[in-house]
Amino acid sequence: MRNILTIFRKEWDRVIKDKRLVFSVMLLPGLMIFILYSFIGGAIQTRVLNLETRLALINEPAGFVTLVDTLTGDDGWEYQSDDAESISTYKLHIDSGNWELLIIFPNDFDEAVNAKEIPEIEIYYNPNEPASSQLYSQYLRYLSTYHQQLSLAVYGDTQAFSLTVDSLPIDETKQTGMMVSMLLPMLVLMFLFAGAMGIGPEAIAGEKERGTIATLLITPVKRSEIAMGKVLGLSVLSLISACSSFLGILVSLPKLFAGEDIDMSIYSFTDYLQILLLLFSTVFVIVGIISIVSAYAKNMKEAGTLILPFYLLTILIGVTSMFGQQAAANPWLYIIPLYNSVQTLIAIFTFDPSSWLYTVITILSNIAYLVLFVFILNRMFKSEKIMFSK
Amino acid sequence: MEPILQVNAISKTFNLSKKQQKIEATKDKIKVALNRLSFNAYPREIYGLLGPNGAGKTTALRCISTLIKPDSGEITLNGFSVTSQEDEVRSEIGFLTSDLKLEEFFTPNYLFDYFSALHGVDPEVAKSRKKLLFAKFGIDRFAEVKVGELSTGMRQKVQIVIALVHDPDIIVFDEPTNGLDILTAKVVTDYLRELRDAGKTIVVSTHIFSLAERLCDRVGIIIDGQLMYETQLTETNRSEANLEELLFRLVEESEARKHA
Ligand SMILES: Nc1ncnc2c1ncn2[C@@H]1O[C@H](COP(=O)(O)OP(=O)(O)O)[C@@H](O)[C@H]1O
Ligand SMILES: [Mg+2]
Repeated sequence: MRNILTIFRKEWDRVIKDKRLVFSVMLLPGLMIFILYSFIGGAIQTRVLNLETRLALINEPAGFVTLVDTLTGDDGWEYQSDDAESISTYKLHIDSGNWELLIIFPNDFDEAVNAKEIPEIEIYYNPNEPASSQLYSQYLRYLSTYHQQLSLAVYGDTQAFSLTVDSLPIDETKQTGMMVSMLLPMLVLMFLFAGAMGIGPEAIAGEKERGTIATLLITPVKRSEIAMGKVLGLSVLSLISACSSFLGILVSLPKLFAGEDIDMSIYSFTDYLQILLLLFSTVFVIVGIISIVSAYAKNMKEAGTLILPFYLLTILIGVTSMFGQQAAANPWLYIIPLYNSVQTLIAIFTFDPSSWLYTVITILSNIAYLVLFVFILNRMFKSEKIMFSK
Repeated sequence: MEPILQVNAISKTFNLSKKQQKIEATKDKIKVALNRLSFNAYPREIYGLLGPNGAGKTTALRCISTLIKPDSGEITLNGFSVTSQEDEVRSEIGFLTSDLKLEEFFTPNYLFDYFSALHGVDPEVAKSRKKLLFAKFGIDRFAEVKVGELSTGMRQKVQIVIALVHDPDIIVFDEPTNGLDILTAKVVTDYLRELRDAGKTIVVSTHIFSLAERLCDRVGIIIDGQLMYETQLTETNRSEANLEELLFRLVEESEARKHA
């Protein structure tokens, strides 16, 4: 046990005492994500703000204005009232995307309607501009309502039925949970893997390549203790690296979902604790895989090449969180490594009542994998073919 | 007197990869590095394995120090079997070869403590031993300098000191003066004699006749993985041992036998 701690401490010191590594392992991941997502988030946000509603009405009848007033309610609406002379100017503006919508009522609209003539309303918009299209369909709905209103007044009841829509108010928490559960599990898995990938090959394949592992192997320390010390050290460091990434995500979430009202405080302290436990057990699996591949590789370069397929596979498993709105219900699925972490994260994020059951199964099976991986590593450290291959 | 190290008919073959076949200029898929090699070493002596390059010296020393396992044969060290009691053997032995490197990021001070801990040396003992060894090899001034920033000579001295953190009874040293400047080489050979006089067993390998003649108490000549000759060097016969001529004759004989 003391030897495991001694080796653990050396792995820890190797990173902690190296300013360059502290920066690249612990600070950079979070910082990168924050910068990246702030930028993406910023981009989304500007698009949302750009959906302006520059609307011009020509000869607008008072009845229509009153109707839109009531329909838009508190939000209100803004429009430019103008006369027929400026029509061509507005059309040019709309074509060039500077203006969104133009609605032209005939001069004597009210009189024409009352005389049971059929006056024509002209709408001009730009189908190539999202803002213009959106405003167009919005006002088409208002006009259709106005149409019904006038029909009733002039021709009597022409409707076969009327419609009342009723529903529960939107459950913000559930919505948020669903959105978070689609994105975060994949990101978390990716960052855990990336963190471990940054230090694992160096700590094992690198030591092999540089011949420092042999110095360790002639000490009377048990090979299993070497394996455990390494895995433990790498796991803690990877977890810190992943936490840095995770913090980066949390800080940039509001920016990423600009306007969508994501509030991570819907999750309680126990939820976060559950996530942390889960991540720690997941990191053992990831570090185990990376360590075995690194121990097998002849040098760091080969380790990097061999790890890549595992990285892609991990991302693929992470992507499964994007399909299916909830966690898998079959408890047996939670013994599949990495997939179990993704599904349990979804369960936690979507407030699945079975999330603790899934967490326990996942952690137990991950510990079983850890034992298996340490056993394999132990065998590999004992094999002269693997340790001293040239 | 009982030998402390018994090497008993060990053989070792390597499978050659395509690349290695090219380097060795051979079509054989298998390289016999050791062929029933036997020798003993006693306390208070420096035993030298002398042989040309590729004779199997490093392979033999790696087998003794548990890094690799012989295919057949047995090695016992202080009564412990190298193949089945590896941990005990590792506690008794200090192995030095250019293949064993130190992590460049750490300082001699850190590494001494680290390997002392791994060998289970009592921290107080380790502390006084560190002080002694660092002073002897002039490492004290560089104790806090990263190994990567040390000169080659200083780095080798640190390697020697690290290999001896647990004060082993048997010191196995592959090509002890290789790559050392003459001053450092003298410090090292003097220290090996000092260790011998303190009762330790030293096994060195070398391809340098003069070193074997000057340093060793007994010399075994190894060619093609076999021990061809063994001799005791005393103060009286040391100067006319003429190992050089002996070795050339043995190599010629072995070549002649191969082509017969
Ligand atoms: N890991 C290995 N794989 C293949 N051949 C090896 C390996 N190690 C040593 N050899 C071969 O075994 C022979 C003996 O090598 P070695 O013990 O290093 O000789 P020496 O130290 O006497 O120069 C050489 O021909 C060498 O190429
Ligand atoms: Mg050699």
